[in-house]
Amino acid sequence: MCAESAKLSVMPPTALDPRALDRPMPIDITMPRLSDTMEAGTVVRWHVKEGDAVLSGAVVADIETDKATMEMQVFDDGTISRILVPEGQSVSVGTKIAEIAGEGDAPGATGAANAANAANAASAASGASTSSTGGGTTPAASTSAPKSMPTSGPKSVPASEARPPDAAPSASAADRSSAPPPPPPPGADFTFARAPTAGSGDGPMRVSPVARRMAEEMGIDLSRLRGSGPAGRIIKRDIEAAAETRGAAIGSGNQPAGRSTVGASSGSLDRSPSPLATPVVPAAGAAAVGGTGLALGARSGLQSAEYPLSSMRQTIARRLLESTQSIPHYQVSMTFEMDALVALRGSLNTDLQTAGVKLSVNDFVVRACALAMSRHPFFNASWGGDRIHVHQTVNVGVAVALDEEKGGGLLVATIRDADRKSLRQISAETKALSEKARTKGLSMEEMSDSTFTISNLGMFGVEHFTAIINPPNSAILACGAAVQKPVVRAGALAVGWEMMATLSLDHRVIDGAMAARYLSTLKHLFEHPTLLLV
Amino acid sequence: MNHVTVESADPARMAAPEGGREIELRDALREAMSEEMRRDARVFLLGEEVAQYHGAYKVSRGMVDEFGERRIIDTPISESGFAGMAIGAAMLGLRPIVEFMSWSFSLVAADPILNNAPKMLYMSGGQFGCPIVFRGNDGAGGQLGSTHSWSVEGLYSNVPGVKIVIPSSPYDAKGLLKTAIRDDDPVFFLESERMLSVKGPVPEEEYLIPFGQAIVRRAGRDCTLASWGRPVNFCLEAAEQLAKEGIDCEVIDLRTIRPLDIDSVVRSVRRTNCCVVVDQSWSFGSPGSELAAQVHAACFDDLDNFVHRVHSADVPTPYASHLEQEYLPNVRRICEAVRHATYRA
Repeated sequence: MCAESAKLSVMPPTALDPRALDRPMPIDITMPRLSDTMEAGTVVRWHVKEGDAVLSGAVVADIETDKATMEMQVFDDGTISRILVPEGQSVSVGTKIAEIAGEGDAPGATGAANAANAANAASAASGASTSSTGGGTTPAASTSAPKSMPTSGPKSVPASEARPPDAAPSASAADRSSAPPPPPPPGADFTFARAPTAGSGDGPMRVSPVARRMAEEMGIDLSRLRGSGPAGRIIKRDIEAAAETRGAAIGSGNQPAGRSTVGASSGSLDRSPSPLATPVVPAAGAAAVGGTGLALGARSGLQSAEYPLSSMRQTIARRLLESTQSIPHYQVSMTFEMDALVALRGSLNTDLQTAGVKLSVNDFVVRACALAMSRHPFFNASWGGDRIHVHQTVNVGVAVALDEEKGGGLLVATIRDADRKSLRQISAETKALSEKARTKGLSMEEMSDSTFTISNLGMFGVEHFTAIINPPNSAILACGAAVQKPVVRAGALAVGWEMMATLSLDHRVIDGAMAARYLSTLKHLFEHPTLLLV
Repeated sequence: MNHVTVESADPARMAAPEGGREIELRDALREAMSEEMRRDARVFLLGEEVAQYHGAYKVSRGMVDEFGERRIIDTPISESGFAGMAIGAAMLGLRPIVEFMSWSFSLVAADPILNNAPKMLYMSGGQFGCPIVFRGNDGAGGQLGSTHSWSVEGLYSNVPGVKIVIPSSPYDAKGLLKTAIRDDDPVFFLESERMLSVKGPVPEEEYLIPFGQAIVRRAGRDCTLASWGRPVNFCLEAAEQLAKEGIDCEVIDLRTIRPLDIDSVVRSVRRTNCCVVVDQSWSFGSPGSELAAQVHAACFDDLDNFVHRVHSADVPTPYASHLEQEYLPNVRRICEAVRHATYRA
C-alpha cells in the first residue's frame, strides 16, 4: 500500500490533466483601430484583471480614441494572463496591450495565477509544442504545469503544510516521527493548506470571489485595499470595513455633485437611480475617486440600488463635467412667433405625404441655425486657447436620447454641411441617424465634427430649459416646444403659436449682444419660414 | 392505501415534531419495514441472522413472529449469493430488503449490487427494473478495525443508477426507509451502528420523507456546514461551540447524497459566503469532494474562501479508540475547519 501511495505522490498530477497537453499558445490583444483616423488609443478602463476568465465577445476594456470612448471586445475564450498597458496610458494602434492564455490555463485561480502564468509562460509554450509534435509529455514539461496553481507559491511547500492535517491533526513532533510518514493524499492536501504568505504587495492581487463581486457592486477600488486573508487575500470583511470607512468619509468632500449638471444637459432622460458610486473620470483612476469626494458611500444611510457605468455614461459624465468646469457658460433666451412656420410645415407635410416626408419643427430649427451661421460665423467656432477657430463648414449636431430600456444615454448625431442641405435632406438624415443611434449605434464619422449643437425637448412638451455646451462647440441651442398660447398680435389678443429657445454660450467666443443678434436672425427666419425653403 | 403524510419541500415542515414519543433508531427502522410489509405483500427481508436471532443488531426483533419465515429469511454467510438472489426476485416483481450486517461485507457482493442492480433497468431496455433496498451499518467508530469500518458511500456513490440514503436521526431513518421500500430503483440505505441506540421523536402516524430534500437543522449566517448521516450531529455540536466564539453556523443535512439536493446548499452558501463539507468517507473522489465541486461551480462569485472539507483521514481506519476518534470527522476538527474557512483561525 505504501508503495502504491508513494508512486501516486511522485507521479506528477498534471500528467493526468489533459489540459496540460493541449494548452494553446497565448493570444495577443492589441490596440485596435477604431476609426479611420485613429493613430493611438488610451486604455480608459480595464474591465478585467489578470487571472479573469473571459469568453469571446466579452468587453475587456474601454478604449478612448481621438473622438470617443469605445468598448473593446475579445474574440477568444481564455484567461487574461497579462495586462501590459495600465489605465490612462496611450499607445499606438497595433501595440500589444494584454495577453490571453488559452482555455484551460489557470482555471479559476483568480488573481493568484498571474505570477505562475508569467513564470510558466515559457514552459507552457514548450508544453504545447511537445504535444504538437506528438511526443510524450516529458516530466519537466508536465511538472511545470498547474501543480503550483492552488498556492502559486514557491515549490518548496513545507512538509507540514502539504501533508494532510487530517492524518494527524494534533500530533506532536514525537508522534510524527514514530508514525510512518502518511502518504500525501492528492485531493486531501488542500483542506487546510494555506498559501505561503506573500512577502510584499508586489505580487498579484488576491481577492476572494465574493469580495471581488462586492467591491464591484459598491464601487470600491480593490487596488487600494490591504487584504487580511492568507497571502494578503482581500476577503469579505475587508470590503465591509472599506465600505464602512468610506461611509464615514462622506461629507468631507465639498465639490459640487456633477450629477445634476449631467442630468440637465442630457435633459431628456433622467435615469432614476443615480449611478454615482463609481468615479466619473475613469482615466484618472484612484485620484478621481479620492479627488471628487462626491461618490455616495455604501453606508450613507440611504437605500440605493447601484448601477455600474456604461462607457457612454462615463463619456457623458467626463465631457460635460469638463464643459461646465472649463467653459464660462451663460444663457440667452428668446420667444419666436411660430404661426407662419407651423402653417408652412402643415401644408408641406400635407403635400409631401405621398412622398413619405414628414418634416418636424426641429428640421426647420436645424436649417435656420445653419443658415444663420453665414451672418454669425462665431457661432460656428471653437475656442483655441490663444485664438478662435472659425469653422469653414457648418455641421449641426443633433442630440439624440437613447431608449431608457436600453440603458439610456445621449449621442450627438452630426448633420454635415447643414447650411447646404434642404429641409427634406435634413429631415431624412436626422431620422436615419436617430434610428441608427437607437438601434445599432453611430459610427465615429456620424458623431464627430459637429460645430454647433441643438438639443430639442419640444417633443416632450418642455417649453424652456438650458443645455451644456458640447465641446469644442461654442454654443448650443436648447429648443422648447411650439405651443399655442394667448398672444398679442397687432395690439390685440389672439391665439398664436410660440416657441422659446435658449442659447448656452461660451463667453470667451461669443458676447451677449452677439447672442441676441443671432437669436434675432433666427427669429426672422422662423417668422418668415419661406426663407428656409431657398 | 390510506392517507399518508408526504413531506413537502418546505423546510419548516421537514423536521421531526417536538414532543410525542421517542424511540431508538433501530426501532424506527423496524417500524418502517413492518409497516411496509403489512402494506405490501411483495416486501420481504433477508439477511444473516435476521429471523431466528432477531437481527445481529436487533433491528428485526419480533418480525419473524409477525411475518413468518417465508418473509423474514435467514441466509447463509454469503453476501454475493443472497444479494444476487434478491436482485433476481426484484427483477421478477418482488420488493426485497437485503440486510447487510455491515456494509463492509457488501464488498464481496460488489458485482450484483453495483454491476447488476443499478444497471438492470438500463441494460434491459426498460424490461426489468430492480426495486430493492440494501441496508445495514456503515461507517467506523466501533473499534471494528480497518476491514469492518467502511464508509462505502465514497465508493458506491460513484455509480449511476443507485440512490443513496444516509439518515442522521430516528425520524429521518423511518421516513426515508419507507420511501426507499416504495422506490422502484435500487436504494442503498446506510445506517450507523453507533446511532442504533440513539433515541429521537418519531410520531405514531405514518409519514414519508422524499429523497433529494435536504433539511436545515440549524439556521446561521456565517458559514454553511453541509453533511449527512452521523456527522450531522457532530456539526450541530460544533455549531453550538462556534456560536460561543461568535461564528454563527447553518447546518444542512442532505439526507440523501443521490439524489443530492445541491439547491438547498447553494441557497445557504449564497447567504453565508462560506461552506464547510463534513463527510465521513475518505476525501479522494468522495461525495464530499463532489458536493464541494458543485458548490464551487454554482457559488463561485459568492464564496469568500474555497470550500473546506472535513473527511476521515486518508489512512485505513485505526483500531485504537483514541486514534479512531481522531481519524473520523469530530467536533474539534469541524470547528477548526470552520475557523479556517471564516478566516478566524
